[in-house]
Amino acid sequence: MIKHLIAGIQRGLGLHRPGRSLLILPDDIFLVSFPKSGNTWTRFLLANLRFPNEPATWANINRLIPDPTGTAKRDFDRLPRPRIIKSHECFDPRYPRVIYIVRDPRDVVLSQYHYHRKIRKLDDESPLEQFVTRFLAGETCPHGSWGQNVATWLYTSEASPRFLLLRYEDLVADTARELTKVATFLQLTAAPEQIALAVERSSADRMRQMEKKQTDKNDLVKGSRKDLSFVRAAGSGGWRSELPAPMVARIEAAWGPLMQRLRYELSTQAPKEARDYEAQGILSGRHL
Amino acid sequence: MIKRLIAGGKYFLGLHSPGRNVRVFPDDIFLVSYPKSGNTWTRFLIANLVYPEKNPDFSNINELLPDPEAMSKRDLERARRPRILKSHQYFDPRYQKVIYIVRDPRDVVLSEYYFDIKRRAIAEDYPKQEFVSRFVRGELNHPYGTWFENAATWFYARRGDPRFLLVKYEALQSQAMEEMARIAGFLGISAAPPRLASAIEQSSADRMRELEKKQAHLWSSTRETRQDKPFVRSAKAGGWKAELSESSVAEIESAWGGLMREMGYEFAASNLVDAGMEHAGIENL
Repeated sequence: MIKHLIAGIQRGLGLHRPGRSLLILPDDIFLVSFPKSGNTWTRFLLANLRFPNEPATWANINRLIPDPTGTAKRDFDRLPRPRIIKSHECFDPRYPRVIYIVRDPRDVVLSQYHYHRKIRKLDDESPLEQFVTRFLAGETCPHGSWGQNVATWLYTSEASPRFLLLRYEDLVADTARELTKVATFLQLTAAPEQIALAVERSSADRMRQMEKKQTDKNDLVKGSRKDLSFVRAAGSGGWRSELPAPMVARIEAAWGPLMQRLRYELSTQAPKEARDYEAQGILSGRHL
Repeated sequence: MIKRLIAGGKYFLGLHSPGRNVRVFPDDIFLVSYPKSGNTWTRFLIANLVYPEKNPDFSNINELLPDPEAMSKRDLERARRPRILKSHQYFDPRYQKVIYIVRDPRDVVLSEYYFDIKRRAIAEDYPKQEFVSRFVRGELNHPYGTWFENAATWFYARRGDPRFLLVKYEALQSQAMEEMARIAGFLGISAAPPRLASAIEQSSADRMRELEKKQAHLWSSTRETRQDKPFVRSAKAGGWKAELSESSVAEIESAWGGLMREMGYEFAASNLVDAGMEHAGIENL
């Protein structure tokens, strides 16, 4: 009863988190990805590009690039438009413009495993193999499996002018080039110096330093283990040394065609289905 | 203000319809389709297969196969488990066991056109051509995405998954026994041919039309609609060939050709096959 009353008052003051009932505005831009695919880093990049007078920190990022499940409704209403909003949801037809970040699932699974250790969902002895099984089944987060999340966006929206696909690996390889693409998509005028400044302000080193000081100012890391860092390797291809071959093979068997479509080279032979679809020209990667 | 208070009170008591926010149980089965794709017919087929003793009709179909958009949260949570829920939602990762009904979008648009006349969303003389364009652009007045978005999200996210059964409306029409056997198997029901045949017979278009005449006022989807227009209309596949203009057909095929081809829907505008592949999805988002 008291709980309901508090919830009611919070709602009245706009302090509740809107979640799916967020009122979407026609010029909203959504920054979408499966979890652990570089969303937070890209949020910092975009915040630093969009709001150069207020460098992004762990304390203000939820206000600058809000998250419907983590930011108060009031803060949504106060943001200048167009708003850039964070999301991990599968395809949603209501999102007017979308930047979708995709990352190699063999790295995503490792990143999520480490993150779950950090937030104490897993203990250190928890076997990676079991985690991979749950990861493949889409049981490690409420946003579908990696394959489902990516497929719903890619197959519906890839060719749309209101959809921008970013590969995390490209973002790592040439951050300034990819951020320039994003700026163009957002119709932001950004001189090379502005891009460079945003990249610098969002560097892994800087994010790590800030994380140490601000760890209790952000729900992503609040109350989590201090001996593990949210900003981890910040690179790509860690799976080659960290993910045992049989687990690599299982991921490739599950999502091979989709991975190939995204130019993630398979280390095992392509599953039969992938070759069949390729033969039919369905997964020719025409748009990539 | 009073309205909001009433809404708040209803919410508190669980009397609101949760829609997409429905609470999902691990043993739920979902019967999903885009609107006007044979969902109601399939609901009757399944109700007659699973609960023949309940004599399914329009007065109890919402209880037998609950609809999160038409029923209260309270009733939904009290429904007998495992529930077989009706849904028109685009992909939802929470749904585990899913039967997805897909229908030729060229017929779906016609069905939706007549249904929108019945429910007074458009006038009787509304131009079909214009309606098709709105259908392709996703500008119809419902929250389920376009036909393409709805079908593509389910198909590409779940194909090959043993807990996902894709059923074509057209196959249900042309080979009902085979399709019903697949559905029964998926539901884990061992049904001999006579039981399948009886469920099909009990859900025939003629029988549903008769029931509708007597019970239209008892069912959420027909209650406040024009009573001079039937809900159960032609109940056939391929009506678009006579009723859609060539340019409307081409508009649909060039927008969604890739997926239509994967689903096995043949093109009328054969020269558009390649263009269709190129443009699949362009209209979306």
